[in-house]
Amino acid sequence: MPKPGYEYYIDMVTKRYFDAVDKQDLQRVLDCFHAEATLQEMTSSTEHCGREAGIKRMFEGLFAAHSRIWHGNFVHTVDVEGQTICSQFSVEVTPRASGEELRYENCNRFYLADGKFDRVFVYMSGDNLLK
Amino acid sequence: MQYQTQLNRNQLVDLVLTQYFANIDRKDLDGILACFHDSALVTIQTSFALHEGKASVGRMFADLFARHRRITHKNISCTVDAKNGRIAAHYIEELVANDGTRTVFDNTAFWRLRADRFQALFVYESGAQML
Repeated sequence: MPKPGYEYYIDMVTKRYFDAVDKQDLQRVLDCFHAEATLQEMTSSTEHCGREAGIKRMFEGLFAAHSRIWHGNFVHTVDVEGQTICSQFSVEVTPRASGEELRYENCNRFYLADGKFDRVFVYMSGDNLLK
Repeated sequence: MQYQTQLNRNQLVDLVLTQYFANIDRKDLDGILACFHDSALVTIQTSFALHEGKASVGRMFADLFARHRRITHKNISCTVDAKNGRIAAHYIEELVANDGTRTVFDNTAFWRLRADRFQALFVYESGAQML
Protein backbone atom coordinates (compact mmCIF):
# COMPACT_ATOMS: atom_id res chain seq x y z
CA MET A 1 0.00 0.00 0.00
CA PRO A 2 1.20 3.59 -0.55
CA LYS A 3 2.69 5.33 2.48
CA PRO A 4 -0.25 6.60 4.59
CA GLY A 5 -0.71 10.34 5.13
CA TYR A 6 -0.97 12.31 8.38
CA GLU A 7 -4.71 11.82 8.81
CA TYR A 8 -4.42 8.05 8.47
CA TYR A 9 -2.43 7.78 11.71
CA ILE A 10 -4.94 9.88 13.67
CA ASP A 11 -7.87 7.88 12.31
CA MET A 12 -6.11 4.59 12.95
CA VAL A 13 -5.49 5.40 16.60
CA THR A 14 -8.76 7.17 17.47
CA LYS A 15 -11.50 6.04 15.09
CA ARG A 16 -10.38 2.47 14.62
CA TYR A 17 -8.26 1.31 17.58
CA PHE A 18 -9.47 3.19 20.65
CA ASP A 19 -13.06 3.34 19.39
CA ALA A 20 -13.01 -0.46 19.14
CA VAL A 21 -11.40 -0.79 22.59
CA ASP A 22 -14.04 1.48 24.12
CA LYS A 23 -16.82 -0.52 22.45
CA GLN A 24 -15.11 -3.76 23.58
CA ASP A 25 -15.14 -4.99 19.97
CA LEU A 26 -12.31 -7.51 20.09
CA GLN A 27 -12.22 -8.32 16.37
CA ARG A 28 -11.98 -4.65 15.35
CA VAL A 29 -9.21 -4.16 17.93
CA LEU A 30 -7.24 -7.13 16.62
CA ASP A 31 -7.70 -6.00 13.00
CA CYS A 32 -5.46 -3.02 13.82
CA PHE A 33 -2.45 -5.30 14.49
CA HIS A 34 -0.14 -7.37 12.34
CA ALA A 35 -0.14 -11.09 13.13
CA GLU A 36 3.32 -10.92 14.71
CA ALA A 37 2.75 -7.62 16.53
CA THR A 38 3.86 -6.99 20.10
CA LEU A 39 2.33 -4.78 22.78
CA GLN A 40 4.51 -3.85 25.73
CA GLU A 41 3.35 -2.16 28.94
CA MET A 42 6.45 -0.22 29.92
CA THR A 43 5.61 0.87 33.44
CA SER A 44 5.47 -2.77 34.55
CA SER A 45 7.56 -4.45 31.81
CA THR A 46 4.68 -6.66 30.65
CA GLU A 47 4.96 -7.88 27.06
CA HIS A 48 2.15 -9.40 24.96
CA CYS A 49 3.26 -11.13 21.76
CA GLY A 50 1.19 -12.06 18.73
CA ARG A 51 -2.20 -10.74 17.58
CA GLU A 52 -4.04 -14.04 18.07
CA ALA A 53 -2.11 -15.02 21.19
CA GLY A 54 -0.79 -12.58 23.79
CA ILE A 55 -2.54 -9.45 22.52
CA LYS A 56 -5.88 -11.23 22.16
CA ARG A 57 -5.61 -12.70 25.66
CA MET A 58 -4.76 -9.30 27.11
CA PHE A 59 -7.84 -7.63 25.62
CA GLU A 60 -10.09 -10.54 26.60
CA GLY A 61 -8.92 -10.03 30.16
CA LEU A 62 -9.35 -6.25 29.98
CA PHE A 63 -12.89 -6.52 28.63
CA ALA A 64 -13.87 -9.24 31.10
CA ALA A 65 -12.72 -7.11 34.02
CA HIS A 66 -14.31 -3.75 33.04
CA SER A 67 -17.87 -2.68 32.32
CA ARG A 68 -16.78 0.68 30.87
CA ILE A 69 -13.63 1.82 29.07
CA TRP A 70 -13.16 5.31 27.64
CA HIS A 71 -10.18 6.95 25.96
CA GLY A 72 -10.12 10.69 25.20
CA ASN A 73 -8.34 14.05 25.53
CA PHE A 74 -5.90 12.99 22.82
CA VAL A 75 -2.76 14.87 21.79
CA HIS A 76 -0.88 13.20 18.96
CA THR A 77 2.67 13.49 17.67
CA VAL A 78 2.61 12.08 14.15
CA ASP A 79 5.73 11.27 12.15
CA VAL A 80 4.65 10.21 8.65
CA GLU A 81 8.26 9.74 7.57
CA GLY A 82 8.91 7.38 10.48
CA GLN A 83 5.48 5.64 10.25
CA THR A 84 5.03 6.37 13.94
CA ILE A 85 2.39 8.03 16.07
CA CYS A 86 2.86 8.83 19.76
CA SER A 87 -0.36 9.66 21.58
CA GLN A 88 -1.10 11.13 25.00
CA PHE A 89 -4.59 10.60 26.39
CA SER A 90 -6.82 10.07 29.40
CA VAL A 91 -8.42 6.72 30.23
CA GLU A 92 -11.45 6.08 32.40
CA VAL A 93 -12.39 2.53 33.33
CA THR A 94 -14.96 0.98 35.61
CA PRO A 95 -13.97 -2.41 37.04
CA ARG A 96 -16.88 -4.85 37.23
CA ALA A 97 -15.68 -5.96 40.66
CA SER A 98 -15.81 -2.57 42.37
CA GLY A 99 -18.00 -0.42 40.13
CA GLU A 100 -15.76 2.52 40.98
CA GLU A 101 -14.42 4.63 38.13
CA LEU A 102 -10.62 4.82 37.78
CA ARG A 103 -8.73 7.41 35.72
CA TYR A 104 -5.29 7.25 34.13
CA GLU A 105 -3.14 9.64 32.10
CA ASN A 106 -1.31 7.45 29.61
CA CYS A 107 0.72 7.52 26.43
CA ASN A 108 1.26 5.02 23.65
CA ARG A 109 3.92 4.79 20.98
CA PHE A 110 2.57 3.07 17.86
CA TYR A 111 5.00 1.87 15.19
CA LEU A 112 3.21 0.93 11.98
CA ALA A 113 4.12 -1.12 8.94
CA ASP A 114 1.86 -1.20 5.88
CA GLY A 115 -0.79 0.69 7.79
CA LYS A 116 -1.13 -1.64 10.78
CA PHE A 117 0.41 -1.73 14.26
CA ASP A 118 3.67 -3.63 14.37
CA ARG A 119 4.90 -2.59 17.82
CA VAL A 120 2.95 -0.76 20.52
CA PHE A 121 4.40 0.56 23.77
CA VAL A 122 2.14 1.68 26.61
CA TYR A 123 3.00 3.88 29.60
CA MET A 124 0.40 4.12 32.34
CA SER A 125 0.04 6.34 35.35
CA GLY A 126 -0.80 4.31 38.44
CA ASP A 127 -1.33 0.53 38.44
CA ASN A 128 -1.05 -1.58 35.31
CA LEU A 129 -4.42 -2.49 33.78
CA LEU A 130 -3.01 -4.44 30.84
CA LYS A 131 -2.13 -7.72 32.54
CA MET B 1 -3.18 24.62 23.69
CA GLN B 2 -1.67 24.71 20.20
CA TYR B 3 1.47 26.87 20.10
CA GLN B 4 3.26 28.33 17.09
CA THR B 5 6.80 27.48 16.09
CA GLN B 6 8.86 27.82 12.93
CA LEU B 7 11.37 25.14 13.86
CA ASN B 8 11.75 22.48 11.21
CA ARG B 9 12.33 18.76 11.70
CA ASN B 10 16.12 19.01 11.99
CA GLN B 11 15.92 21.96 14.40
CA LEU B 12 13.45 20.13 16.64
CA VAL B 13 15.68 17.07 16.77
CA ASP B 14 18.75 19.23 17.43
CA LEU B 15 17.02 20.98 20.33
CA VAL B 16 16.11 17.67 21.96
CA LEU B 17 19.36 15.80 21.29
CA THR B 18 22.20 18.31 21.41
CA GLN B 19 20.74 20.98 23.68
CA TYR B 20 18.40 19.16 26.07
CA PHE B 21 19.70 15.60 26.56
CA ALA B 22 23.38 16.44 25.98
CA ASN B 23 23.23 19.21 28.58
CA ILE B 24 21.58 16.89 31.11
CA ASP B 25 24.37 14.36 30.60
CA ARG B 26 26.92 17.19 31.13
CA LYS B 27 24.95 18.43 34.16
CA ASP B 28 24.88 21.86 32.52
CA LEU B 29 21.85 23.37 34.26
CA ASP B 30 22.02 26.72 32.41
CA GLY B 31 22.18 24.90 29.08
CA ILE B 32 19.10 22.84 29.98
CA LEU B 33 17.09 25.81 31.21
CA ALA B 34 17.88 27.75 28.01
CA CYS B 35 15.68 25.20 26.23
CA PHE B 36 12.61 26.24 28.27
CA HIS B 37 10.34 29.29 28.38
CA ASP B 38 10.08 31.00 31.78
CA SER B 39 6.48 29.78 32.06
CA ALA B 40 7.21 26.20 30.94
CA LEU B 41 5.44 23.25 32.54
CA VAL B 42 7.15 19.91 33.13
CA THR B 43 4.88 17.02 34.06
CA ILE B 44 6.13 13.60 35.12
CA GLN B 45 2.91 11.99 34.05
CA THR B 46 3.51 8.52 35.46
CA SER B 47 3.88 9.94 38.97
CA PHE B 48 1.71 13.09 38.56
CA ALA B 49 4.63 15.36 39.57
CA LEU B 50 4.24 18.89 38.18
CA HIS B 51 6.99 21.53 37.90
CA GLU B 52 5.67 24.97 36.98
CA GLY B 53 8.07 27.60 35.65
CA LYS B 54 11.77 27.63 34.96
CA ALA B 55 12.75 27.97 38.63
CA SER B 56 10.86 24.82 39.59
CA VAL B 57 12.25 22.96 36.57
CA GLY B 58 15.73 24.05 37.63
CA ARG B 59 15.19 22.71 41.17
CA MET B 60 14.06 19.37 39.73
CA PHE B 61 17.27 19.01 37.72
CA ALA B 62 19.49 20.33 40.51
CA ASP B 63 18.05 17.67 42.81
CA LEU B 64 18.60 14.98 40.18
CA PHE B 65 22.22 16.10 39.69
CA ALA B 66 22.88 16.20 43.43
CA ARG B 67 21.75 12.59 43.85
CA HIS B 68 23.60 11.11 40.86
CA ARG B 69 27.24 11.16 39.89
CA ARG B 70 26.53 10.12 36.30
CA ILE B 71 23.51 10.52 34.01
CA THR B 72 23.46 9.09 30.49
CA HIS B 73 20.78 9.18 27.81
CA LYS B 74 21.19 6.82 24.87
CA ASN B 75 19.33 4.97 22.08
CA ILE B 76 17.26 8.11 21.57
CA SER B 77 14.62 7.71 18.88
CA CYS B 78 12.58 10.78 17.91
CA THR B 79 9.06 11.05 16.53
CA VAL B 80 8.78 14.46 14.90
CA ASP B 81 5.57 16.37 14.10
CA ALA B 82 7.08 19.63 12.84
CA LYS B 83 3.79 20.85 11.37
CA ASN B 84 2.33 21.03 14.88
CA GLY B 85 5.46 21.92 16.86
CA ARG B 86 5.57 18.62 18.70
CA ILE B 87 8.31 16.06 19.17
CA ALA B 88 8.40 12.84 21.20
CA ALA B 89 11.39 10.68 22.07
CA HIS B 90 11.92 7.18 23.31
CA TYR B 91 15.20 6.80 25.20
CA ILE B 92 17.17 4.80 27.69
CA GLU B 93 18.20 6.75 30.80
CA GLU B 94 21.00 5.33 32.92
CA LEU B 95 21.54 6.86 36.35
CA VAL B 96 24.44 6.11 38.66
CA ALA B 97 23.65 7.31 42.16
CA ASN B 98 26.27 8.77 44.48
CA ASP B 99 26.50 5.41 46.28
CA GLY B 100 27.17 3.64 42.95
CA THR B 101 23.68 2.16 42.51
CA ARG B 102 22.85 1.93 38.79
CA THR B 103 19.26 2.35 37.59
CA VAL B 104 18.08 2.09 33.99
CA PHE B 105 14.80 3.52 32.69
CA ASP B 106 13.07 3.04 29.35
CA ASN B 107 11.21 6.33 29.00
CA THR B 108 9.14 8.37 26.58
CA ALA B 109 8.93 12.17 26.58
CA PHE B 110 6.76 14.63 24.67
CA TRP B 111 7.69 18.28 24.05
CA ARG B 112 5.45 21.09 22.81
CA LEU B 113 7.27 23.99 21.22
CA ARG B 114 6.39 27.68 21.40
CA ALA B 115 8.61 29.77 19.11
CA ASP B 116 12.12 28.35 19.57
CA ARG B 117 11.84 26.74 23.02
CA PHE B 118 9.90 24.21 25.08
CA GLN B 119 6.58 25.37 26.51
CA ALA B 120 5.64 21.96 27.87
CA LEU B 121 7.33 18.65 28.55
CA PHE B 122 5.63 15.42 29.59
CA VAL B 123 7.74 12.49 30.79
CA TYR B 124 6.48 8.91 31.10
CA GLU B 125 8.90 6.73 33.07
CA SER B 126 9.20 2.96 33.19
CA GLY B 127 9.31 1.30 36.60
CA ALA B 128 9.87 3.22 39.83
CA GLN B 129 9.63 6.97 39.34
CA MET B 130 12.84 9.01 39.57
CA LEU B 131 11.82 12.64 38.86
